[in-house]
Amino acid sequence: MKQQEFFSSRWALIIATLGIAVGTGNIWRFSRIVAQNGGGSFLIPWVIFLLLWSIPLIIAEFAIGKYSRLGPIGAIGKTAGKKFAWMGGFIVIVSTAIMFYYSVVTGWCLYYFYSSLTGNLLSHSNHLQFWNEFSNSYFPILFHLIAISIVSIVVMKGITYGIEKVSKILVPVLLLILIGLFFRAITLPNSIEGIKYFFTPDLNMLLDYKVWLNALTQNAWDTGAGWGLIMTYAIYMRKKEDISLNASLIAFGNNSISLIAGITIFSTVFALSSADAIEQISQSGPANTGLTFIYLPLLFTKLSASTFINSVFASAFFLALFFAALTSLISLIELATRTLIDFGLVRKKAILIVSSLGIILGLPSAINNSFLINQDWVWGVGLILSGYFISFSIIKFGVDKFREQIINGIGSDFKVGKWFNFVIKYLIPFQAITLLIWWLGSSISWDPQWLNPFRTENFGTVIFQWGTVIIALLALNNFLYKKSFGD
Amino acid sequence: MSLLTLIIMIFVIGIVWGGLVFFLTKAIKFEKNKSNVQE
Repeated sequence: MKQQEFFSSRWALIIATLGIAVGTGNIWRFSRIVAQNGGGSFLIPWVIFLLLWSIPLIIAEFAIGKYSRLGPIGAIGKTAGKKFAWMGGFIVIVSTAIMFYYSVVTGWCLYYFYSSLTGNLLSHSNHLQFWNEFSNSYFPILFHLIAISIVSIVVMKGITYGIEKVSKILVPVLLLILIGLFFRAITLPNSIEGIKYFFTPDLNMLLDYKVWLNALTQNAWDTGAGWGLIMTYAIYMRKKEDISLNASLIAFGNNSISLIAGITIFSTVFALSSADAIEQISQSGPANTGLTFIYLPLLFTKLSASTFINSVFASAFFLALFFAALTSLISLIELATRTLIDFGLVRKKAILIVSSLGIILGLPSAINNSFLINQDWVWGVGLILSGYFISFSIIKFGVDKFREQIINGIGSDFKVGKWFNFVIKYLIPFQAITLLIWWLGSSISWDPQWLNPFRTENFGTVIFQWGTVIIALLALNNFLYKKSFGD
Repeated sequence: MSLLTLIIMIFVIGIVWGGLVFFLTKAIKFEKNKSNVQE
């Protein structure tokens, strides 16, 4: 029997799933995107898409996982039908490809925590140079190995003694650190200017479709909705566990943490920075690291006259970032591991294969930032297609039947109304297709060699990599379907 | 702080943090009821 373990309680499930949702995107990407999209003007569509994208997809993922008790390949095959198991395969490939470079990013956070703790980070005056020296050294490889090794040990211990136990420590500590940093930031002199900017809307920007698309993208990328990760954790839900209330709690919890992180960063930057605060928050820098790894360390040196206190706050910030990345990496590795368990492997063997692949295939991203940017681009956009495949599989199953029998079935505390049918049938596909057209269409305009598959961020590289994966998955569809049921 | 900023602040925080508190309260209530039934 594959199904052996369950999360011990509702709270254990919520904390572990919150660990998936809260990642570096909440702390690192959110503030940059808010600054680039007119502060408060961005927050309005961001709240709307929380309701129209994140919550319905998290409900859908929980329900598919609980119903099928299988990883994404078997789950989509069981829900949508045998012919569509390849879609589950695509979800697995996207999340696993993200895992390869996300482990490198987790390693960066760990290295910066270590450097803050030793005082090395804040003793530097040029943080761009510090970043460049780090990224050109062997440290990204070493810390990638450390990150993947830590997570592999956790996942090897299984759900109850591994993922649940570790999440119950890391997620509350992460929240406590963020709340501590939040109160320190909002009590800094002039922090109110940052809070004002964060919430003040530029009404003209509300008419800009790009602000809306960026808000939808942020919800698609930072809530974990549509990644297949929540579907994987839902395999371990108890039979009498609720779906819709838990899903809503996680979605609101995730976006609440984004707000805390956003207010903290805006307050800190406006309090400690000169007139160029917005420019500093908005800039991407190498591999989108500008704000977090180059500018914030500089600001931490200005926090107080005491180097010790500054190091404590810098260490706390990078520890929070590391914990956020680590809990998300755990779920990425569990997804790949669970897929191999469905194929008939025991957990120990499955995790050994996944971690070995993670170490080897993460190396190019650890060595070369352009490779990491390429993978982030290709599979980041792939997540939108994954979200569409999840809604597609429910449409194939029958949306109303799915809602009545599975979401509102055994254990349901909170009944989902008919609005869900409309959202899954029409709104999610419409949002996904619009986003795909926008991102891929834009990528044609920003690179004259848009069809060249060997460029870092363009149309050609997405189509080439997706095309190769989809053709292979279609060819292997029947094999994957049978294997995922243990045949 | 302008009135518009205040309105956006109340709207965003109200929905996001308000939603969290609402669902958290519901979850605590349901769990309490379930444990009472088991006892």
